[in-house]
Amino acid sequence: MSHLGSHLREKRIIVCCGAGGVGKTTTSAALAVAAAQDGRRVLVLTIDPSKRLAEALGVSTNTPEPVRVRPEREAQAGIQAPGTLSAWMLDPKLVADAAVKRLVRDPKKLRELLANPIYQQVTQMIAGMQEYTAMEALHGFVERGEYDLVILDTPPARNALNFLDAPRRLGEFMDGRIFRMLLPEQDSGPFGGTTRALAAKVLTGVFGEEFFADLQVFFAAFSTIFAQLNGNAQKMRERMQQDDVIFLLVTSPVRTALDDALYFEDRLRELSLPLGGLILNRSRQINSDRPMPGPHLLPEGATDAHRRALAHLSLLAEREREQEAEHRELRATLVAHAPQDIAVLVVPEFPGGIDDLPGLGELARWLIGRAA
Amino acid sequence: MLRTILDRRVVLVSGKGGVGRTTVSAALARAAAAAGKRVLVAEIEEPATQAQSTLARMFGREVLPARPTLLAPGIHGVMLATEEGTEQFLGDVFRVQTLARLALRNAALRRLLHAAPSFHEMGVYYHLLHLLRQLQPDGKPRWDLLVVDMPATGHTLALTALPDILLRLVRRGPIATALREGQGWLNNPRTGGALVVTIPEPLPVTESIELSEGLRATHMTVVATIANKVPVDPFSPEERAALEDLLPPGPMTGKEELARIERARVSLERLRSSTAPPVLAVPAFPVDGPAATEAMARFFMGDEP
Repeated sequence: MSHLGSHLREKRIIVCCGAGGVGKTTTSAALAVAAAQDGRRVLVLTIDPSKRLAEALGVSTNTPEPVRVRPEREAQAGIQAPGTLSAWMLDPKLVADAAVKRLVRDPKKLRELLANPIYQQVTQMIAGMQEYTAMEALHGFVERGEYDLVILDTPPARNALNFLDAPRRLGEFMDGRIFRMLLPEQDSGPFGGTTRALAAKVLTGVFGEEFFADLQVFFAAFSTIFAQLNGNAQKMRERMQQDDVIFLLVTSPVRTALDDALYFEDRLRELSLPLGGLILNRSRQINSDRPMPGPHLLPEGATDAHRRALAHLSLLAEREREQEAEHRELRATLVAHAPQDIAVLVVPEFPGGIDDLPGLGELARWLIGRAA
Repeated sequence: MLRTILDRRVVLVSGKGGVGRTTVSAALARAAAAAGKRVLVAEIEEPATQAQSTLARMFGREVLPARPTLLAPGIHGVMLATEEGTEQFLGDVFRVQTLARLALRNAALRRLLHAAPSFHEMGVYYHLLHLLRQLQPDGKPRWDLLVVDMPATGHTLALTALPDILLRLVRRGPIATALREGQGWLNNPRTGGALVVTIPEPLPVTESIELSEGLRATHMTVVATIANKVPVDPFSPEERAALEDLLPPGPMTGKEELARIERARVSLERLRSSTAPPVLAVPAFPVDGPAATEAMARFFMGDEP
């Protein structure tokens, strides 16, 4: 059993990070399957899964609540009670709406807030909102205690850790003093006088008078709500430093994998966050003891076509062997540079990719080191 | 096919990570430069990342500045950056550069702007617009063609969807004007277009079809799908038949490559019969980095009749 196996049994939060296109979403889902097979109640929060994977997990339409995979399909994937597998696709609008509903008791005020045009548009923006709401969603699901383990698939970004920075940026956005700059008819605080005048001039110039007025209404209505959301995000950020949280980096076998891994490790150390392992996906270094093609394959009375076919086949085999050697070397480099207690897990390439539960089950076996 | 791609002012190169999007962008820039065009190839800045640029590496450089820099004969490169775009925008709005600078230097205002959702995209969008507007002293556009190496799928759609979403909120004023001008360039099939890059494997092909649909939903013309890294099938039909006699039943090195060739064939067929735009199959080149972009550029040029 690998380190990862024990993480999957013991941790409460696992965060999967990595660049786009490395198989992060699939890996997150497979980790969830593995933990559920071990009897844990698992929720995987995915972001932008492929349609087929979303269908496999039962979240192809955005649902307001996590969806549990049907028990008979769980059983097919080797998941038995008490283990359960649930999934949810991060929907920034739903997360934001839920937070507003939780924080605003007065039904009239709630209706007004949810109907605010700026609020409606902002929550539908893809850019930035995923990062802001990932932490809020995670906070909600961890607090509820319905799940033993929550696995978070992070938003696609070249910098895998941008989402961790979101609470800080949100905090700055929600900073009361900045709000005051936007609000008319306020006491002149530290931003009174020239700064306010400059800000008003710039913002009116940029947004136009009409929109600037809408913006002021929006900020007046939402300032207290944002302050509370920011509180949750900060709590979650601190929660990330506890022992029951682990970060995993998913990489693909490319030359920059080592650079990515080292950079990621540095960033996590700066932020005092625990790195739990590196997952090297789609590696071809496995099964390298298969025989090579050779003249022994030629049938009796072989034709020219047979010989030419064998020559082509031999070239393909050579190429395959070269790639295996490259991937083995990359793995060795990763292992040599990884800190002692960090597991480097190698997962083979699954021809054709993975987009169903049996596929996730097979990947899960590799991840916990039980593959045949 | 190359001409239908290059005879525009701005081409967005999109696709999921790992499919070779940056190599394709650099190769297109090289092919356009070889055809005598003044090309600007652009990458989009990701906030808070390392300064190294994958695009610059395709030209043997490490970093890409926010002002156009010569990368190769006929090819300039630029990093589309929030900061640069915002400064240009405020400068254009207020005419007085000092006010723009003063505004940007105000710590509180900067923090407010930087935290606003889509602020980053808006800055990048404006930077792009600014470059499209640039003229030479003789009144011709400074850049015949702008090739933009777009970020991962979700972020690409965030950028192309930005005008529609923001225009619902901000109907008048300088932002609205800028967004409409940008739409004029990007959404007009004569001046703007998108390319979707993918690899001939089942899941990437499915995702590329979805991306084409997503781009069309944001009013982009998808000019072509580039199926990259297509493995060459070395077998003639006769040799294919003979191969059947050779293959042993058990595992053997070489069988995975055979399976890859077969998956590529099926995936390409599916791509061609889908709603995706015309497909250009590009072979895998046995080289990396700048050499790969040169090889691919030659391939693009050879594709021209």
